[in-house]
Amino acid sequence: MQDLILQINHLSKSFGSHEVLKDIDFTVSHGDVISIIGASGSGKSTLLRCVNLLETPTSGEILYHGKNVLQRGTNPAEYRAHVGMVFQSFNLFNNMTVLENCMVGQIKVLKRDKTEAREHAMHYLEKVGMTPYINARPRQISGGQKQRVAIARAMAMDPEVLLFDEPTSALDPEMVGEVLTVMKDLAESGMTMLVVTHEMAFARDVSRRVVYMNGGVICEQGSPEEIFGNPRKQETIDFLSRFRG
Amino acid sequence: MNKFAQLAADITKLWTKYHTAYLSGIENTLILALVGTVIGCLIGFICGILNTIPRRPNDHPLKKAILALVRVIIRIYVEVFRGTPMVLQAVFLFYGLPYFTDNAVKFTSVWAAAIVVVSINTGAYMAESVRGGIISVDPGQTEGAMAIGMTHVQTMTSVILPQALRNIMPQIGNNFIINVKDTSVMFIIGFPDFFAAHRATVGASYLYFPSATVEMVGYLTMTLIASFLLRWVEKKMDGSGNYELVQEDQLTMTAGTYRHPDKGTPFDERSKEYENREKEAE
Repeated sequence: MQDLILQINHLSKSFGSHEVLKDIDFTVSHGDVISIIGASGSGKSTLLRCVNLLETPTSGEILYHGKNVLQRGTNPAEYRAHVGMVFQSFNLFNNMTVLENCMVGQIKVLKRDKTEAREHAMHYLEKVGMTPYINARPRQISGGQKQRVAIARAMAMDPEVLLFDEPTSALDPEMVGEVLTVMKDLAESGMTMLVVTHEMAFARDVSRRVVYMNGGVICEQGSPEEIFGNPRKQETIDFLSRFRG
Repeated sequence: MNKFAQLAADITKLWTKYHTAYLSGIENTLILALVGTVIGCLIGFICGILNTIPRRPNDHPLKKAILALVRVIIRIYVEVFRGTPMVLQAVFLFYGLPYFTDNAVKFTSVWAAAIVVVSINTGAYMAESVRGGIISVDPGQTEGAMAIGMTHVQTMTSVILPQALRNIMPQIGNNFIINVKDTSVMFIIGFPDFFAAHRATVGASYLYFPSATVEMVGYLTMTLIASFLLRWVEKKMDGSGNYELVQEDQLTMTAGTYRHPDKGTPFDERSKEYENREKEAE
């Protein structure tokens, strides 16, 4: 029995009258590497943003170690410090250098002292191969490099779960590989990851569970072998056939 | 031509006799404009931050009510002080307070009164500028900060405001230059600024036009120097366009690096800088 980190019950989200997520049930356990796949507009990103409370769900609950974080009185900032997020558009702080980007959260949120934060940041920047660029500003480095820094920034906070919102979708094709390699290393090191992605090879080869979403509901989920080798639902088969060509 | 010779002679006469009055007027004007702009910017930043506190649907009703009230108060403040002339605001404050309180509450120094009026006036303009500056920062920056667990205040002070400040630097400069000129209305409460020096001198010498010329040249010199300094500050804030690679291993890959020709296009006012960089690169 793995220990449960997140448990999502009956989660729904509407933008006005448009229902994006319908009654989602979903769990994340320690060490899980979960890929969420599905067509654009199927609600994958919204689900991820709800998990990090960047969107407020319309109804349902998100239990973090059994405690509902949607309840009034819980501090979203405190919860988010444990749940890291990597964005499609990187969202590195433009007014800081690469190193400062990886230190500011540790200093302000985790109250680490500067030397400790610096050491910690350098440790993860080395893992993503960005130590030479610590004095560069985000506008001076490439998309792939930005995303690697963003991963290091999230990791430096020692999160329990790391959420990835289409981390390679905004990248030029030749830069996708360097980011996926970093993510693969992370997965192998035992990091709990929840990845919204269009990279089917990543979903198949790296993740341990694949969730296929369609029209705001979880259509099918299972091991990569089940989903890619033997999908049961017709929607899943149709979706995957578009990627095989 | 002899009119110009006459003017030059009159100005020389004025300057030799009254230059201390003019110079101390310039000094007072600059101090008032600078202090007023700085305090005004602080007021503007506070209003801007209060105005952009996010309201979430599941917030406590009391928090929602307080936030709504704060916004209304700021709105009224901005509309009133942006919508009335500064000269009247000065009169209202300086003469209105003792009138209503039977001299119990009043400004004992024109300096304090002048600084208060200029500051709250600048603050009303800056409140909107700061709000615009905050809105113009990419929302992804806020999300990035929130995602690593920063609170609203931490997000503001570490990430958003430094970027917003850079975005509104031209507006702050604008306000400073406007303040250098518009503090001339403070003669109404007897503030000894540069324009008050003009009124005092012509009262004694009757050389209206020559003194006005001195004033014109004086104000223009102040604002030109201010413009120049502000551009310099902006450039400093942008930081270097280049960076040093920290390379312990000589084989570290350098693919994907490039020198960024700054945010501007070759067609804007910084084109000269751009050209120079291109030349350097060759």
